[in-house]
Amino acid sequence: MWSLSNIAANIDQWLNANMSPTWALIVEMVIAGVAVIGLFAALGLVLVIMERKVSAWIQIRLGPNRVGPKGMLQSLADTLKLLVKEGMTPGGADKLLFNVAPFVAMIVAMLLLAPIAFAKDFQLWDLNIGVLYISAVSSISVISILMAGWASNNKYSLLGAMRSGAQIVSYELSAGLAVLAIVVLTGSLRISDIIQAQENGWWLFKGHIPVIIAFIIFIIAVTAETNRAPFDLAEAESELTAGFHTEYSGMKFALFFLAEYVNVFIVCAIGATLFLGGWMPFHIGNWHAFNGVMDWIPSSVWFFGKTFFLIFVIMWFRWTFPRLRIDQLLNLEWKYLLPISMFNLLLVTLIAIMGWHF
Amino acid sequence: MTASQIIFYLISAFILSMGVLSVTSRKIFRSAIWLLFSLIGIAALYFWMDVQFIAAVQIVVYVGGIVVLIIFSIFLTQQSGKEMPKAPLLRTIAGALAVLFGFAFTFLLIDQYGFPAIDQPFDNDVARIGNAMLNTEQGGYALPFEVVSILLLAAMVGCIVIALKTKPEEK
Amino acid sequence: MGAASLIVLILAAIAFSAGAILIAKVVTKATKNKQKAEPYESGIPTRGPSWVQFNVGYYLFALLFLIFDVELIFLYPWAVAAKKVGLLALVEIIIFFFILFMGFLYAHKKGALKWK
Repeated sequence: MWSLSNIAANIDQWLNANMSPTWALIVEMVIAGVAVIGLFAALGLVLVIMERKVSAWIQIRLGPNRVGPKGMLQSLADTLKLLVKEGMTPGGADKLLFNVAPFVAMIVAMLLLAPIAFAKDFQLWDLNIGVLYISAVSSISVISILMAGWASNNKYSLLGAMRSGAQIVSYELSAGLAVLAIVVLTGSLRISDIIQAQENGWWLFKGHIPVIIAFIIFIIAVTAETNRAPFDLAEAESELTAGFHTEYSGMKFALFFLAEYVNVFIVCAIGATLFLGGWMPFHIGNWHAFNGVMDWIPSSVWFFGKTFFLIFVIMWFRWTFPRLRIDQLLNLEWKYLLPISMFNLLLVTLIAIMGWHF
Repeated sequence: MTASQIIFYLISAFILSMGVLSVTSRKIFRSAIWLLFSLIGIAALYFWMDVQFIAAVQIVVYVGGIVVLIIFSIFLTQQSGKEMPKAPLLRTIAGALAVLFGFAFTFLLIDQYGFPAIDQPFDNDVARIGNAMLNTEQGGYALPFEVVSILLLAAMVGCIVIALKTKPEEK
Repeated sequence: MGAASLIVLILAAIAFSAGAILIAKVVTKATKNKQKAEPYESGIPTRGPSWVQFNVGYYLFALLFLIFDVELIFLYPWAVAAKKVGLLALVEIIIFFFILFMGFLYAHKKGALKWK
């Protein structure tokens, strides 16, 4: 069956048959590099047009419809526009840090791709602390925001950066606790083990109500961590113009924008992997006939389908909930989400140890 | 030199140069950022050694926690953007001498110790750490694990007491 | 692909960002003037220094975050082992959480979790 997993294996075999191991590794590295750059560019284009089309659809309007068929090339045109814009550095800024910050944001977003399983056996590095790696590396992203906000020498930027700093670090905790619920059920941090454990059903359906609670907490926490509405008070247009990237223009702004969208993709991919089985097709226990039919759909289609469904849900939030104030935001995390997720983790542990899950 | 050695020296050079930058920088925020890069370099070194759990802990605690705390405390001061005055010559010389002696001392210790090389592959499974941590029998770490929570409790109470103390002075 | 993938990803990110910025630099025509370099160009001029002092609230939350972050790190090895160890793991984590929860209640009582 045509699938991404076979392609990766075939390339690996072919390279090792025709070259020395060192050269095969180098060529593979180059291929991987080109592939992730392509994925980044494609994700940026697709997610921006998706965001605009989804918002248009929810608000019963047409959205972009001039460039290309049904406006599908709009984000390409926007990228071209940003490319010919001048990238300025404000006079009073700390020029070095101002220019380094977008690089940090991009490197962090890129590093997060390493353990994600895009399809069966299609993964850059299946390291044995997969989930912990994700939460560790994503905690660096707050630094790029603080750097950008401070280096801009602009009050709007600094206030926005500070708000997102407090918000991101707070919500990291409940996201971590929600992830731990799945780790307890699986008994492993490795992404491939977690997916394999969902062969007879996804954790969302196997783990009763506690896992559903963990899933909801996870979605809320990652929405806040990626600075998206209703938690986008770091870039509340009406108060802070654009938050930490107020002073950024041209390509440097585009890089921040891209990193933000890629982060949304990554957290949704993680959510899909942990709770919805990643590339694992929809299986029900021992119904072999049904499972066989489901296996006909390629694993990459399952993965991207689930991920884009979660992205759609997060975009839906934006047009459904009003923006929170900072005190409400911190209250929600520290007074509700954190105690609930701690208690929920105990429940999940009880279920896992007693073997009450399916 | 093998590729692995080259990578080791590159990472070490990165850590050291960022460390020097963080000490010599005259803007306090920049110092914090160089310190951050230095700590990330140390995490990279752990990844290079294949102790991934320790590397992740290094990033979560130091980079994602302590450096963020340092940056927040810099914003708490009034002069996060000001250049600090240049250190007087005497202090610079004294500092350089202290570094030199410290380096010589450490180098001597490391040189004389003679680290034994271990050939067998390194088992870095997280489950082993977890099992040791939950083990209540001889050689287990169940008690330290619980004591950690008391330590964290003490830290939490302490930070609340200190941070909320300034409140009456504001009025 | 192992740890080499990290090197690839870092290099790819740098190449992507640097490439984009360089291309933009080549195709755009930059002009310089003093008004353009002002913070928040063509807006209201900033009053006082931009690097302002923040209130202690942010710092307090950062401190509390650090404590829970360390707690979370201890939970990861526990979570991996918990299922195999069985009820003992649950008992130990309940004690662990109970002690931490005392601190949480203290913070709540003292009003440290309230935004000022």
